[in-house]
Amino acid sequence: MNTFERGKFLFSGATKNESFELLTKALDASISGIIITDNSQPDNPIVYCNGAFESMSGYSRNEIIGHNCRFLQADDRSQKEREILAKAVNEGLGCTVEIRNYKKNGDLFWNELYMSPVKDGDGKVTHFIGVQNDVTYRKKVEHDLRQQKANMEKMVEERTLALRDSEAFLTSIIETVREGLLVLDPNFTVLSANYHFLKTFKVTVEETVGKQLYALGNNQWDIPLLRNLLVKILPTNNPVVDFEVEHEFPHIGKKLMLLNAYRIELEGQFKDQILLAIEDITERKEIERRKDDFLSIASHELKTPLTTIKGYMQVIERSLPSEASEKFKSTIGKVSQYVERLNNLISELLDVSRIQTGNIELHEARFEFDKMVSDVVDGIQSSAHNHKIILKGKTNTSILADETHIIQVLNNLLSNAIKYGPDSEIIEVNISNVSEYVKVSVKDFGVGMSAQDTKRVFERFFRGSEIQQRFPGMGIGLYVCDQIIKNHKGTLWVESQKGKGSIFSFTLPKNGKGSDEQ
Amino acid sequence: MSSKNILICDDDEGILDVLELILEETGHTIIPEKNSLNVRSLIEKKMPDLIILDLWMPVLSGDQILQMIRTTPAYKHLPVIMISASRDGEQIANDHFASAFIAKPFDYDNLIAQVRKLI
Ligand SMILES: Cc1cc2nc3c(=O)[nH]c(=O)nc-3n(C[C@H](O)[C@H](O)[C@H](O)COP(=O)(O)O)c2cc1C
Ligand SMILES: Nc1ncnc2c1ncn2[C@@H]1O[C@H](COP(=O)(O)OP(=O)(O)O)[C@@H](O)[C@H]1O
Ligand SMILES: [Mg+2]
Repeated sequence: MNTFERGKFLFSGATKNESFELLTKALDASISGIIITDNSQPDNPIVYCNGAFESMSGYSRNEIIGHNCRFLQADDRSQKEREILAKAVNEGLGCTVEIRNYKKNGDLFWNELYMSPVKDGDGKVTHFIGVQNDVTYRKKVEHDLRQQKANMEKMVEERTLALRDSEAFLTSIIETVREGLLVLDPNFTVLSANYHFLKTFKVTVEETVGKQLYALGNNQWDIPLLRNLLVKILPTNNPVVDFEVEHEFPHIGKKLMLLNAYRIELEGQFKDQILLAIEDITERKEIERRKDDFLSIASHELKTPLTTIKGYMQVIERSLPSEASEKFKSTIGKVSQYVERLNNLISELLDVSRIQTGNIELHEARFEFDKMVSDVVDGIQSSAHNHKIILKGKTNTSILADETHIIQVLNNLLSNAIKYGPDSEIIEVNISNVSEYVKVSVKDFGVGMSAQDTKRVFERFFRGSEIQQRFPGMGIGLYVCDQIIKNHKGTLWVESQKGKGSIFSFTLPKNGKGSDEQ
Repeated sequence: MSSKNILICDDDEGILDVLELILEETGHTIIPEKNSLNVRSLIEKKMPDLIILDLWMPVLSGDQILQMIRTTPAYKHLPVIMISASRDGEQIANDHFASAFIAKPFDYDNLIAQVRKLI
């Protein structure tokens, strides 16, 4: 007994045939694909399909009827849904699957398939009915969602990894730097200490982390200078840069340290923590000192035979017979000149080394300024036969400075004035009082220099471009002068015009380099 | 002007020779000595009127000798010229009360002038 025969679809006044047609129209109006297969025939061929199935698959009815539905699977035959279907068909059961199918044009679509058997009076399966919906869109959304979620998870994982990586990276940097690093909380308790710190100061993590900085190693870090630095300077929001501290540690001896401290201002987890970098420069300083010592010895040893040579040269110059040829006399003169140059080179080398190391010691003492200047001028004048040095002005003061250094500066400036003014006769030296300073100007009428060069003359090894070949020299003299004057808290500067000449001037505080501190 | 004795002590033979040659011009008697350990006995024996002392010498350095001279009542006022090629020479010379300091390499005229000033 079927639905028809029960008369359910029998509309009033309609024949069975008319009712069947109506039902077919209803099936065609469905937006789901509907098919009927005949299970009594071999391989379960499709015997009916509605319009929606045609449009969904892209095939026309004549290409559909008679086929097994698997043709929709195209070459995609190894899906597990296929087995589920095969089993259901075999056992005469219904099932629901989502299976990948392909339209006639090859496009993939996700087919949500409801399949159910139709049984006869004996319970034998005669037909199967399939209802199909194209759920590609829903699938895509689902897929996208899943994808999105997977992506998110991946991203989170990556981020975590990157974070862990950068943390590991930072840690490895902190652990490998050859500088001691401490992190302190605002109360100067050590939060962490790196390997180098532990190694340099011969302590363990247990002895260090969680302890007060000052209490470390039996209070050996209770260094007044360090206290001052952390308590007074850091809170003003200034980082402490390259602060030299010398301290005698009970166990490891005297250490010279370079301290850099920085307080974290950034809001957040690390706010107000203090980074303290401690560089042990004991050895470096020692090496620098040894270099200076070596150069001191070298220059002393080089000057010793030079002294003998110069002495004999002077004896020869003085005992030249009056009938000696001009050529002979000028040759002797040249030798003396170059002996002098060699001597200056040796001195300059030592000076530069000491300046670089910061090892020029100032021996400040009071001396009569005017006398010092006139003595230097006389000294240079006696060997400068082609120039006339005119000394102008008076200060009538005594000043507190390292006289030998100031003599060196004046000597240097005067030698340059002579060297770089070979064809001009006059050199003027002017001295005066300016406020609490004395001022010296050395004016020549020589080759002068370009504005560009005036900016660089005080640099180490700088030599004017055109000067290079015409005049001997190493470009150290003015550098040394500048450093000496700076050491005295004075200034050295130049005004010059190419082809007209130069004026080098310097000022010196009369009461020594410490005078502005009181 | 009667001839005076000038004792010169420097560990470098070249410098000793050239100083002797130059200072002969002053007409004084030159007593050159290479070994600083002999200075003390030479002072006793030769009674020099002026000593020219190198600073850096092996075993007994110039400043040590100068110290000895300045702390020995009999020689306390003996004129001593310190000579050195060392940068710190002048400072050390002053610290130990040398009568004068001359940097190496020295200037002929300056050397003669300093010697004449002291004797
Ligand atoms: C009524 C009915 C409708 C079916 N509709 C589809 C369908 O739309 N798409 C599909 O891939 N398979 C469909 N199948 C399943 C295949 O026809 C076939 O049974 C399945 O591929 C398993 O059998 P096989 O292993 O012989 O291929 C349908 C089966 C029946 C009985
Ligand atoms: N009086 C001057 N006139 C012109 N140029 C000068 C004068 N003094 C110095 N310079 C320039 O400055 C440079 C550096 O001078 P300095 O440091 O004394 O080294 P050096 O004389 O050995 O070259 C010189 O090479 C020269 O170019
Ligand atoms: Mg010596």
